[in-house]
Amino acid sequence: MDNILLLIKEGEFEDAELDDYSFSCYSQLEVDGTQHLLTCAFDDPDVNSTNLEFEICGALLNVKCLTFDKLQEMYFIKTKKFLLIGDSEIHVKLGGKNITSKKLNIVEIVKPEAPFDIRVIYRKGANDFLVTFNTSHSQKKYVKELMHEVAYRQEKNENDWMHVNLSSTKLTLLQRKLQPDAMYEIKVRSIPNANYFQGFWSEWSPTFHFRTPEITGRMDPVLLTISILSFFSVALMVILACALWKKRIKPIVWPSLPDHKKTLEQLCKKPKKNLNVSFNPESFLDCQIHKVDGIQARDEAESFLQDTSSQLDESEKQRLGGGMQGPTWPSEHAAITPKAFREDSPFGCLAGSISMCEALVQSSSRSPDCREGGKNGPHVYQGLLLGPGTTNSTVPTPSPFQSGILTLSPTAQGQPVLTSLGSSQEEAYVTMSSFYQNQ
Amino acid sequence: MFHVSFRYIFGIPPLILVLLPVTSSDCDIEGKDGREYQHVLMISINDLDTMIKNRTNCPNNEPKVFKKHACDDNKEGMFLYRAARKLKQFVKVNNSEDFNLHLSRVSQGTLQLLNCTPKEDNKSVKEQRKQKSLCSLGILLQKIKTCWNKILRGSKEH
Repeated sequence: MDNILLLIKEGEFEDAELDDYSFSCYSQLEVDGTQHLLTCAFDDPDVNSTNLEFEICGALLNVKCLTFDKLQEMYFIKTKKFLLIGDSEIHVKLGGKNITSKKLNIVEIVKPEAPFDIRVIYRKGANDFLVTFNTSHSQKKYVKELMHEVAYRQEKNENDWMHVNLSSTKLTLLQRKLQPDAMYEIKVRSIPNANYFQGFWSEWSPTFHFRTPEITGRMDPVLLTISILSFFSVALMVILACALWKKRIKPIVWPSLPDHKKTLEQLCKKPKKNLNVSFNPESFLDCQIHKVDGIQARDEAESFLQDTSSQLDESEKQRLGGGMQGPTWPSEHAAITPKAFREDSPFGCLAGSISMCEALVQSSSRSPDCREGGKNGPHVYQGLLLGPGTTNSTVPTPSPFQSGILTLSPTAQGQPVLTSLGSSQEEAYVTMSSFYQNQ
Repeated sequence: MFHVSFRYIFGIPPLILVLLPVTSSDCDIEGKDGREYQHVLMISINDLDTMIKNRTNCPNNEPKVFKKHACDDNKEGMFLYRAARKLKQFVKVNNSEDFNLHLSRVSQGTLQLLNCTPKEDNKSVKEQRKQKSLCSLGILLQKIKTCWNKILRGSKEH
């Protein structure tokens, strides 16, 4: 029994010894030119490393094994003779006797060098911070591709680090994601990108401190002025557009089709304000309308003129005289009597040319008010409305013409002209053809 | 009867051994994914190329190097095995340390990735000893590079 107990105790002691000599290693390739560095250390710092040696065998060039150098509690070897392909064995020896061994691959325990020269530049135009840093591995042949980790925090917030992973050496931090007018610190570290070389994080780079700018409450004064002016101008344009929409804007943008009757009314209204121009027969109810039965002699015309001469203006007389003397007077002054007439009157004053409007003006100028004219007796209607179907009307030849009043016999020779006219207001135009055909 | 049995015992087996064809088994290639070649071997081959070009002006006509061996289909492993062994012949004392190390890395690294068990060929060893010029080394390295590229292309297609 005692012997058995002793054996168990010995076994426990051996296990404890092995645990004590556990170690870990990391490699750094091309750390000094073309030389590589392999560093090992015991996991337990309390291990008595006196007389302990480290040795690496396998995956070496031209040699079988290499012995580590010792510096305090660290064991390292600096050499170019790593094959970088295949596994090696690390032996811990005490007095030449192998205590413990570990199989590892040099390319799988790579620890990159720490990045350096980290800088932060504020870009006002882009409202962001450009973070740049440098790494010595960009110049190396083997471990060229690394993954970097940037960590930043506000100085007052301890242990509140923000982390960003990137493969390049530039990073952009947006201003809106940082506190304004605050002090920040930033640092970076690297690790092999695990394509072929793998390993551990490097040490952190030296920390860089930067301050974020304040957010100014005032806008640029020029920008502010321009924005206010443009706002008010837009508001003014909207108000004017609403106010003038119906009267001014809509007729231009969406013009209504012109009505010839209204247009003519407006045109005729312009010269004389007191002119009673209308195509509405009801406005001329007060006027006495006499039928024109035929062409009367000059004497009768003159007698009528004498009666109404007192009511004429000088300018009107001249115009009338000039118009009457012209051989083409009937064509030019085929006046349009007002449309408004009594129902039995054959005459109608319908839309026509401006010349007809002028005659109308002349005729009505003699009698500016129908009511006044009515008091003076019968009127002289120099205007005569003839329709297209006036083939049978008796009209004077254009030359020579003796002034008078053209009258039409509404009953002579078939259909009276004006009745045909009265039947269709759109056809009440005087045409020269009507004069010639009746000769 | 006795002298007859002796003839069969001691005569025929050596005959059989002599008449048996020399079978050279091809090699198993471990680094077919190309990681070891691209990250380690190719770097050393390129460095050696640069060093050779800086030291010598090789003629345009290709010297007779490794003519008997080619990177034929299904024989790429054997070609690399032989070429890697030949590289050791170029390791010299008067070369720089880096030059020798790169040579050793290409040679040893290639052999590490191959699993070959060929027979020794005395004639080829003699032939290797003859051609040790740097220009020959440059051509050999290019052939090794070409053969590795062929292996990697073939593995990608599969």
